[in-house]
Amino acid sequence: MPGPLAVLDSASKSFGDVFAVVELSLSIPGGEIYGLLGPNGAGKTTALRMLAGLLAPSYGSARVAGHDANTTFAKRQLGYLSGSTGLSGRLTPREVLDYFGQIHGLSRVEIGKRVAQLAPMLALDVILDRRCEALSTGERQRVSIARAVLHDPSVLILDEPTSGLDVLASRFMRDFVRAERARGKAVLFSTHYLAEAELLCDRIGFLHHGRLLVEGPPSEIRGQTGKSSLEEAFLALTEEPGGAP
Amino acid sequence: MNPRHVFLTFAKELREALRDRRTLAIMILLPLVVYPMLSMLAAQVATGREKQREERPSTIALTGKGPSRDALAAEVLKNTTIFVLLPAGSPGDVERGRLDLLVELDPQDFGKLTMIYDGSRDESRSAEERLDGILAKSFPDGCAPRFAAHKRSVAPQARLGGYLLSKALPLFVVLMVLLGAFYPAVDVTAGERERGTLETVLCSPIRRFDLMLGKVLAVAALAALTGVLNLASMAITLIQILRLAAQNVVVDIPWGHAVLSSLVIFPAALLFAAAFVALGATARTFKEAQTLLLPVYFLTVAPAMAGAIGEYQLAGIVAWIPGMNITLFARDLLVGRATWSGGLCTLASTLLLSAAALAAAARVYDSERLVAPTPRRLRASGGAARTTKAGDALVLFALAFLMLYFVFLPIEQRHFASGLLVAEWVGLFGLVWLFARMSGQTFKSALGFARPRPRAVLGAALAGCSAWAAVAIFSEWILPVPKQLLEDLRKSLIPTDGSRGVVATLLLVAASPAICEECLFRGPILRGLRTRLGAVASVFVAAALFGLFHLDLYRLIPTTILGVLLGFLALESGSIVPSMVAHFCNNAMLITLASLHLDRQMETLGHRALTLVVVASLTLTAAGLALVRGAGHKPEV
Repeated sequence: MPGPLAVLDSASKSFGDVFAVVELSLSIPGGEIYGLLGPNGAGKTTALRMLAGLLAPSYGSARVAGHDANTTFAKRQLGYLSGSTGLSGRLTPREVLDYFGQIHGLSRVEIGKRVAQLAPMLALDVILDRRCEALSTGERQRVSIARAVLHDPSVLILDEPTSGLDVLASRFMRDFVRAERARGKAVLFSTHYLAEAELLCDRIGFLHHGRLLVEGPPSEIRGQTGKSSLEEAFLALTEEPGGAP
Repeated sequence: MNPRHVFLTFAKELREALRDRRTLAIMILLPLVVYPMLSMLAAQVATGREKQREERPSTIALTGKGPSRDALAAEVLKNTTIFVLLPAGSPGDVERGRLDLLVELDPQDFGKLTMIYDGSRDESRSAEERLDGILAKSFPDGCAPRFAAHKRSVAPQARLGGYLLSKALPLFVVLMVLLGAFYPAVDVTAGERERGTLETVLCSPIRRFDLMLGKVLAVAALAALTGVLNLASMAITLIQILRLAAQNVVVDIPWGHAVLSSLVIFPAALLFAAAFVALGATARTFKEAQTLLLPVYFLTVAPAMAGAIGEYQLAGIVAWIPGMNITLFARDLLVGRATWSGGLCTLASTLLLSAAALAAAARVYDSERLVAPTPRRLRASGGAARTTKAGDALVLFALAFLMLYFVFLPIEQRHFASGLLVAEWVGLFGLVWLFARMSGQTFKSALGFARPRPRAVLGAALAGCSAWAAVAIFSEWILPVPKQLLEDLRKSLIPTDGSRGVVATLLLVAASPAICEECLFRGPILRGLRTRLGAVASVFVAAALFGLFHLDLYRLIPTTILGVLLGFLALESGSIVPSMVAHFCNNAMLITLASLHLDRQMETLGHRALTLVVVASLTLTAAGLALVRGAGHKPEV
């Protein structure tokens, strides 16, 4: 069995004297969607950024495809997308894809083939030559997906990718993530929409104040806490003696 | 129109604007601080150059024979401080710059003479003006003039045109290139961050240095384009003006030289692009980048302006001062006097500084600051207590400067001692105390006051007692102080009328500044900058502010170097006390030397003796620093 593609090993991250993530360990093999859940400020984004090589762990390690996350090799295996990811408004999607494709070492011909492959899947045909600033939120997100998977990475890190999207666009995103799993990709998915995670993820981890409270398949977590939904399970896990989560 | 709605909107917008500290800083503090500072430095450059020009004697030669020549030679020899009379010369010598003024006397007609000078050279113009003044005074009131002078410039019309252009064009070009680099630099750095495209780029397999180099080159290309287009527009305007005033024009425009001088656009564009991108990379938002870049814009203009108005030669250390050398090299190209050495020094210093800025920018892009949560967000999620921030440091500097410039300096000019005391204890010490109170910190924590280890104090005293010599010699080498200004400074420090004894002077000029200036500059300013910059960068920025605060062009270099030393002492020891001790020792040594007139003896030292003094000074300073380091590191500041 091949080893895990994305690994956080006892990773902690501090900013000054504030710890955003404390001794977090995750291991995601290919063909799995792992959902990292938690409220705002729980440390989800910091954890994903460590795996994306944007932040170095203060302690522990972050590895992608067996390599330190901050290496060029690891970055070539990685597709990163967040809800707040922007696109250069003055460029067209084709120009954006061309730039990132070349940075990932693809030739112009390879980029052309890949764009031709992705365009019908992501409904990009009619918008490829319009400036990004003229696109709708959903269209921009589809371009961002194309940008993230253009080089066919083995690991996808998606930080709240459905944030701000309408129902159709969110559904499109979920279908896309499932398709990537079917192609053997390891997908790390963060969201604070628990229902969405329940629909999509093979395993989930609850993060609270930077610590992993529980990890496992959604049904197992519901069973452990004796609750009927993930939302109730999460509330039960994070309830503090004072009453406030 | 609904006046109430208008008023409500007006009040809401005003409230929002006034709550934005950056807007306030740009709107109020920046002009109040930067303009007086720049105008004062510019005035000092002009005064200093004027004094140096007055101190430089003009070379003059007389041709012809007879009583007329003897009479004029006698007049010239009466003024040996401003003229050096050479035995012979020719118009070619004047043109080549070997001679400032040649006077041809008519042997047939007593008093009739022709002054031959180079209208495209300031020294030659000055010699002509000087002789004119002497001739005007060389006859008693009411008598007919003894000499009838004609004047002839040997400068070709094209060179004269180049000379006139050189007074404005190089500075204008530099300003345009700066302006051209400003917004693109903000856009490719902070703009990218604001658009949310930064994360995507940073997690792609591209090296940060390659990323920054691409950005710098793009900004440099846009800045160069701005410069070229402005130059082209100016040229077209000039052609139109010349066509309209064809019959009155007495100069030619040296188009070839003008095109050649435009070559400086490219190194200038690279330098400014690298500096602006490096700084813009540290900003979180477009607005913050503008706030950061604007003071740098003005500070970059300063050396270029000094080069334009100061009539410096592009030689020695001046050829290595970035910005200034670009202006001077463009000027030399325009007047046709550019040298290979000047050009190479300009190019080398520009490339070196650009490379340093580029490396700094790449380092910033390597840092996690760009994607880490802001300190405010961290505090909101249960972070640290209130501390001094970089913004506080800059606001404190601005307030201290404003009080000094508008309140205490006028008092100091009327009464030196009381003005200095009030400036130090109210304007600096009082300001820090008030800041500590208002920011909810204890005075000790705002200062970074901790009991130092005895070895650290000893090391600081050693460094303070020894560093002055190397600093003074180095500063004098870079920017020599005109003798008159030096004498004025001596008189203000050590009054010759005996009205203040040495002990009182030590308390006033050594102890008081050591306590109060350190309280501000190595206290909240250094501590505040440290929250945003690395140790070395914060020490250098605090030192530069310390140097600027002294409002004296000729003390800018020594005070900045001293500031660097004091900053490292504060950081290494983890306490402000060693920097106070070193500051006191430095000032006390200078006062003691001046009161014993030993400083005048230093001016007479030969090359070998000066080298020995520098070596001894640096060795003792290094020993002092080693003692401070050995005393133990307290990373408290």
